[in-house]
Amino acid sequence: MTLLSYAGRKVDMGGAEAPQTGRFERTVLPHLSAGFTLAMYLTGNSADAEDAVQEAILRSVRYFQTLRDDDARAWFLTIVRRVCLTAYRTNRPQGTDMISIDTVGLQLVDDREQPDTAAERLQVQQRVRDAIGQLPPLLREAIVLRELQSCSYAEIAAVTEVAVGTVMSRLSRARAQLAALLRDVVDFGDVA
Amino acid sequence: MSERPDLGTAMREALPVYEASPALQTWAREEARKFDQEHLPKPESVDHTSRLAVWRLSQWRIAAGLLIAAAVGYGAGSLGLAARASSAGNEITNALVDTHVRSLLPGHLLDVQSSDRHTVKPWFAGKADIAPAVVDLSDKGFPLLGGRLDYVDGHTAAALVYGRRQHTINLFVWRAAPADPSDGSFAVRGYSLVHWTNGGLSYWAVSDAAGSELEAFRQAYTH
Repeated sequence: MTLLSYAGRKVDMGGAEAPQTGRFERTVLPHLSAGFTLAMYLTGNSADAEDAVQEAILRSVRYFQTLRDDDARAWFLTIVRRVCLTAYRTNRPQGTDMISIDTVGLQLVDDREQPDTAAERLQVQQRVRDAIGQLPPLLREAIVLRELQSCSYAEIAAVTEVAVGTVMSRLSRARAQLAALLRDVVDFGDVA
Repeated sequence: MSERPDLGTAMREALPVYEASPALQTWAREEARKFDQEHLPKPESVDHTSRLAVWRLSQWRIAAGLLIAAAVGYGAGSLGLAARASSAGNEITNALVDTHVRSLLPGHLLDVQSSDRHTVKPWFAGKADIAPAVVDLSDKGFPLLGGRLDYVDGHTAAALVYGRRQHTINLFVWRAAPADPSDGSFAVRGYSLVHWTNGGLSYWAVSDAAGSELEAFRQAYTH
């Protein structure tokens, strides 16, 4: 809290300096869309996802001094995830699926689409969506962070607030469940 | 299909990565810049002339800080009291600014939209347990835009919304409590707040308009 007359002068000093991007804008804002994507997969609709990201930005401003290292993405995604969980856990019955990818309005744009293979590829994509949608929420969240948002194991561990070993076990269970459904169309390498 | 894609490729093809909407991006950038402006870089990163400016500024800050400490200390009677009052004030002023910012997002500002105080005042009846005075201040440069019910820091609040040129002023009103910070002006994250108590009601005006304009608003509202 600062007295007004004091703060009024505080911002007037820029003068001759070239405008510089501030630290918050530089470190947190690049991850806005990553946060929005995570919120979309957690809440299932854009209105809730927008609200969650707004709340996350307000919290980020307030707790910015808790950002110690350069891993701003994991830090911001952690806040987004916490907002989503606290906002949606309260008004859902116990055991209800937290994430519902089915209700997300999926709109795919693929410029490389070949007319003769389009139907087959669209069918595969639908099967992938259905399979991901059937995963338990914690497994789905881990695989979405890993494959869609290219997070490292350490980042996923930070964002979901569990140990790296837990992340690896969730990812491997997610892959095994997906392999059971998709092995004929997706290459799972070593996963038996 | 000749080649099976790996899981990552298959997922990236099947599942979209989303973009935050332009409105959300603009809003977030403004919030970021306000925050950054209040947390300017340390003096060592600037050239000689600016360093002098920063030095002058820091001198000024120290002087201002001492003045503030003296004023607050005098008002509260002791430094211990001053510190406590200030941290309680921080919480509530932060919550007020958050609510103000949220109210400016599309569709959040007004539950009842009217410049007619005879429409706005009855709207609150039966919704809030208080009936704030709804005055039209357009002749003083603060047109009434409408009102809204809101929830701030544990209070159900009546929010009256006024305009000031391109700025929006939220006037939050709730039943005064003994723990409320004392009356005064505050600045939080680039927003101005003016607080006063009258007739058992606690008033908080919040805006990105200058503090002097909010003070003018308080005078217009209370007279």
